[in-house]
Amino acid sequence: MTAAIVELEEVGGRLGAEVKARSGAAPMSCYQCAKCSSGCPVAGRADLKPHELVRLVQMNQREAALMSRFIWECTSCQTCVTRCPQKVDIPAMNDALRAMSASEGVAAGTSVPLFNEIFLKSVRKRGRVYEMGLMAAYKLRTGRLFEDATKAPMMLAKGKLPLAGPRVDGRSERERMFREAAEGGGE
Amino acid sequence: MSYVFFPGCSLDGTAKDFHRSTLAVASRLGLELPELKDWICCGSTAAHSTDPLLADALPAHNLFAAGGQTLAVACAACYSRLKMANHHIAGDAAVRAKVARLVGGDYDGLTPVRHLLEILCQDIGRARIAKAVKRPLKGLKVACYYGCLLSRPPEVTNFDDAENPTLMDQLMATAGATPVDWPHKTECCGASFSITDSSIVLKLSDQILAMAQAAGVDCIATACPLCQLNLDMRQKDIEKRYQRKYNLPVFYFTQLLGLAMGCTPQEVSLGSLVVAPYGLLEAKGICGAEARR
Repeated sequence: MTAAIVELEEVGGRLGAEVKARSGAAPMSCYQCAKCSSGCPVAGRADLKPHELVRLVQMNQREAALMSRFIWECTSCQTCVTRCPQKVDIPAMNDALRAMSASEGVAAGTSVPLFNEIFLKSVRKRGRVYEMGLMAAYKLRTGRLFEDATKAPMMLAKGKLPLAGPRVDGRSERERMFREAAEGGGE
Repeated sequence: MSYVFFPGCSLDGTAKDFHRSTLAVASRLGLELPELKDWICCGSTAAHSTDPLLADALPAHNLFAAGGQTLAVACAACYSRLKMANHHIAGDAAVRAKVARLVGGDYDGLTPVRHLLEILCQDIGRARIAKAVKRPLKGLKVACYYGCLLSRPPEVTNFDDAENPTLMDQLMATAGATPVDWPHKTECCGASFSITDSSIVLKLSDQILAMAQAAGVDCIATACPLCQLNLDMRQKDIEKRYQRKYNLPVFYFTQLLGLAMGCTPQEVSLGSLVVAPYGLLEAKGICGAEARR
């Protein structure tokens, strides 16, 4: 019997290469030791463990990777890449998969892309994040109005939520920066 | 060495107490921290989950504006994003060229970025800090909690030891407190999931609080606005959900250091803490009853 040798570069080259081009992470270097998963703070609750997600990428399982809940539950704590013997940058890989998942509209039951969108809009307009405005907009758009409803008055009383939002000069330069970034940096 | 200070968005809002206590400590040490003019947000997780180029360009705008001066940073998350941008820009000519177009100038990725813990422990040094300690925090057992982003990944941040940092422990010992050995120094609190999926934060922060309690501490010291907020503001929710009792005050390390240097409770914004620290500080003879005002 001849052993079937799977040539990963051929099988999974496409998604692996796309992730590498977008993020610099090299998922094809992973040899599945699972050290990432033993230190991952969300491995116990997500649908996948980090080494399993890397395997999906290696095997070109695009749909399963982009629709996984794990990519949205990763806290970007950097433990996996710190300990990885092959230095596979899983947080950077997840960033690439998140961007692809959100832009292809297949993000699995998560409000994280919406939160990110509201956050970046504040940065674009004001130059800084206005936490109170961010929370209000997020709550309105998700309909989660009463979640943590007691927190805002408490934070106000503690002086942790200024009523006036920040505004930094240079709005037109920021508009240009965001526009050019979206276009890929003028390539 | 001279610095220009990058406070970051949290320090003007939910972490105002970190901001205030940082400036109070700096003033006791004669350390000047002029604020970087017209700084903008580092982009945080929202930017790096959305667009890698924007995630480098936002910090680069500030690093370029610093004009070669050393950037002093208090927020661990801003520190991470600033260092990450430097790492990408200095290490990749193509990224450098793209970022140059976005920020309107060729930034080389070499502006030094130093966290307050590095500045206090390594630049100023413990000897000078010891001289500024007027009211040692005798008998106060502290769990020094560093979180994720100061020490990881070490190739990027080059901060202390990635798995067992000790800079904050050294500072707390210099302030007369007793830092304890405990295993959750660099575990994740759940960070910005506080807003989008608090169940992650409640579970991870519960594990950190439980481990600190098991180590027999009186309180926790933090160096990150998200860590502090999750462990402090969510502590009651965590106690309720997991049927526990912690009542552990969660300070910014600058608040404790400031108290040791003789700052008033108001100067270090103790009133901003959700878990009230007054009973503890009175029992240890660090503050009197006037602190409660």
